[in-house]
Amino acid sequence: MAENNILNIVLPVILVLFAPILGGFIMGIDRKLTARMQSRMGPPLIQPFYDVIKLWGKQPFISSSIQPILAFGYFAFSLTSFALLAFGQDLLLIIFTVAIADLCLIVASLNSKSPYSVLGGKRELISMMSYEPILLLMAISIYYVTGSFMVQRILSLNYPLLTYLPLVFLALIPVLIIDLKKSPYDVSASAHAHQELVRGVFTEFSGYTLALVELGHWTKIVLMLSLVTLFWATPIIIGIFLALILFFVVLVIDNVYPRLNWKSMLKTTWSVGVLLIIANIVGLISRVVMRI
Amino acid sequence: MNQEILIALTVGVPPLAGFGCLILNNKIARRVIVGLTSLILIGSSLLLYNSGGLHYEPAPIFEILVLVFDLILLTYFLYTGFKYKNILVIGLSILQLFPVLYFEFILHGAEVTPLIIIDNLSLLMSLIISIIGSLVVIYALSYMDEHEEHLHLHGSRQNRFFFFMLLLLGAMNGLVFSNSLYWLYFFWEITTLCSYELIRHDGTEIAIKNSLTALWMNLVGGVAFVAALFIGQLYFHTIAIDKILKLSPNPIVLMLFASLAFAAFTKSAQFPFNKWLQGAMVAPTPVNASLDSGTMVNAGIYLILKIAPPLSNTALGYSIALIGAFTFLISAFLALNERVSKGILAYSTIGNLGLITMCVGINTPLSYTAALTLLVFHSISKGLLFLCVGVVENRVQSTLIEDWEGLLRRLPATSLIMIVAMMSMFLPPFGMLLGKWVAIDALTSSYYISSMLIILIIVLGSAATSVYYIKWLAYLTVLPMDGEKYGNEKVTWPYSISMLSLFGLIVTLGAGISSILNLIILPTLPEDYYSNISLTLLNVDTGVGSFVTYPIWILTIIIIMSGYFIAKKKGGVIKPPYLSGENVADDPTGFRSTADGIVKIETSAQFFEQEYNNDRLIEIAKIIGSIIMMLLFFAVMF
Repeated sequence: MAENNILNIVLPVILVLFAPILGGFIMGIDRKLTARMQSRMGPPLIQPFYDVIKLWGKQPFISSSIQPILAFGYFAFSLTSFALLAFGQDLLLIIFTVAIADLCLIVASLNSKSPYSVLGGKRELISMMSYEPILLLMAISIYYVTGSFMVQRILSLNYPLLTYLPLVFLALIPVLIIDLKKSPYDVSASAHAHQELVRGVFTEFSGYTLALVELGHWTKIVLMLSLVTLFWATPIIIGIFLALILFFVVLVIDNVYPRLNWKSMLKTTWSVGVLLIIANIVGLISRVVMRI
Repeated sequence: MNQEILIALTVGVPPLAGFGCLILNNKIARRVIVGLTSLILIGSSLLLYNSGGLHYEPAPIFEILVLVFDLILLTYFLYTGFKYKNILVIGLSILQLFPVLYFEFILHGAEVTPLIIIDNLSLLMSLIISIIGSLVVIYALSYMDEHEEHLHLHGSRQNRFFFFMLLLLGAMNGLVFSNSLYWLYFFWEITTLCSYELIRHDGTEIAIKNSLTALWMNLVGGVAFVAALFIGQLYFHTIAIDKILKLSPNPIVLMLFASLAFAAFTKSAQFPFNKWLQGAMVAPTPVNASLDSGTMVNAGIYLILKIAPPLSNTALGYSIALIGAFTFLISAFLALNERVSKGILAYSTIGNLGLITMCVGINTPLSYTAALTLLVFHSISKGLLFLCVGVVENRVQSTLIEDWEGLLRRLPATSLIMIVAMMSMFLPPFGMLLGKWVAIDALTSSYYISSMLIILIIVLGSAATSVYYIKWLAYLTVLPMDGEKYGNEKVTWPYSISMLSLFGLIVTLGAGISSILNLIILPTLPEDYYSNISLTLLNVDTGVGSFVTYPIWILTIIIIMSGYFIAKKKGGVIKPPYLSGENVADDPTGFRSTADGIVKIETSAQFFEQEYNNDRLIEIAKIIGSIIMMLLFFAVMF
């Protein structure tokens, strides 16, 4: 039992410490795969780390005095949110904490007067508005299966959530696309600069502030992919495999579709996404009723 | 101290002090009177809270006084109706005046003993009213001086302003202590009077128009109240609230509750009665701060909290929840498109009251806890936001949020307080979010299949809520192009006392949320409500989820400090933003385009005006809101 307790604390701490690094590798894989899909060689796997290290050493230029604090806030609150997940805490709280991270990024981009940055910030705001309800509804539909909002409970299930919530799983695809900043929903800024010269919400970041924002982005991606792994949490290896498949699907979609405007993003998540989840919950309830 | 004296102090002192302000129309006397009254009010409400609930029978003379003042009040409303030739006001006053006469002199309304019952809910409400209400009145001391300076008035009209502000506090305290439906109705009408007089305080054409709207909408509630009085008297021979609450539910009892709920919705400005609170924004800002946070609207919430216990598992309860949820959703979308700062706050108030109403309607121990948490924290945060907005308005001379660009540099202290207050409305680890979180837990665990609809509404509405607050908050931090400052912040003691106290309350109560739940909110639950919330050292546990409290606060502080440390360590030169070409050296708002021509840039906040129109949305919401209101009365049959 004591061993178990130590594992319960040590393992999450290790996970939290390695989350940004893991995110860096995921970004590396992303760049490699995307390059291959476009018949290029692509950079080495650890290129994102080279980038961030180089950015950190650059001469510092900032757009306002609170920008660095906010950039750090974006990273730190993403990590806090992931920490809550790693410690098996409440799903709703995790989602609300991500909102603080989003707020930091949005305010940092809106507080500069550059039209590109402001436009990016506004679109990031709409992105947040698009995916937050889906995540909350996901948490609620998970509650309908497990009877709890706690991640701990999900990790102790002896059946995969996916078998109960296949449609909710599908509804997560647009959320992942938005959070990875991939086409067709990369309205605020594209993860890879393949469609734009000025990077929307990231325009006014440079040097170490950009490095912090990159770290934040990596952490957030790890967080989102971890949410996907919850759908097959025992054994977790299948969940990780599932997350990687979904990640690959998002990359394919990114390379197939051009960017759509924010209206179609909002419409898709608020109609198709919400309807998928409701259909799933109605299905769950009718399953319970039939059993009775 | 003797509890009777405390009751007399909380209910009686404010009107008397108000009367003092009315007669002594000078600055120093006003400051002394308001300062002393606030001290007495806060002190006595705290002592009363400490001494716990009680039953009390006031002297018979008060019954006669209440009747006399009530008749004077109704006659005054009738007179107002004739004065402004407002047919609605005339009709609604007559609909109350004659029934009340009939009720008192022909039916001889039933005796109520005791006339005053103070339970934990009354005590909590009294605490909110006395503390937040007093702080707002203190704030008004400075605000009204500045306000009248801007208006260039000849002779001060502040005496009537403070009279009604203080009367409102006394009436609110009386309202939450009354056990007789008739007394409750009397105090209810006084709050209507105060809101009417305060909204029309500036005497402009629009102020008078909006005050009449507020008057007739609140009188509609008054008529519903009179209907409830008659149902109680004719069918059950009692108008004592404690007895009515014990009646076994049947359609007629439910009809009585439906009337009271209807009255409550007019006060708390649920759709379709949203218009008066929106119109009230023409009043001086302390009025809004008082009406929207500590007083007026809370009267409506108090009433439905009071009548909630018998309504559990009834169709009526569910309709109440539906009205609240609907109001929450619509007001969030209206706020998205609102450009006027006070307008946004008004919609936010309406929306949050909707959320509280929804929680009361769901009516499980957990949702009741959520409602109380939201009530407490909403009052504090919204009060503080209005106070900040008032200060800024007097400095910037504009109410449009787009004109408030870069306020953080121009009025650093006020803006910082305002930003924290905004964040406390929708982000963890503050109390409002905890309330919303408990609400979602309560909804999902309530096992109504139909609660799915409400969950959906709440989830979409809260996304829109985050957007309009973040948008506004971001605007305050924009780097101003011209670097102009609005002078140094003139801090007068009424401003600093009121704003810093509320700010302190947000932070301390938010950080000590477990203790607040344990000491104040859980004991306020109705008798047979056993909330399965357990408070461990680090968590608030609802049985279906757990909210980490202290660790998040500590982490937040660490993050802000280390962010500051990194910013200091790495520093950096502030460079002008990237526009679309070469920056112009002496003009930060322009860049050089083709052939070196200078192009000016302009950015705006995010609105959705092309997607939907607020006026049209209000029209639609009114119709749907009215339909749901009618459902309220059909629901009594099920």
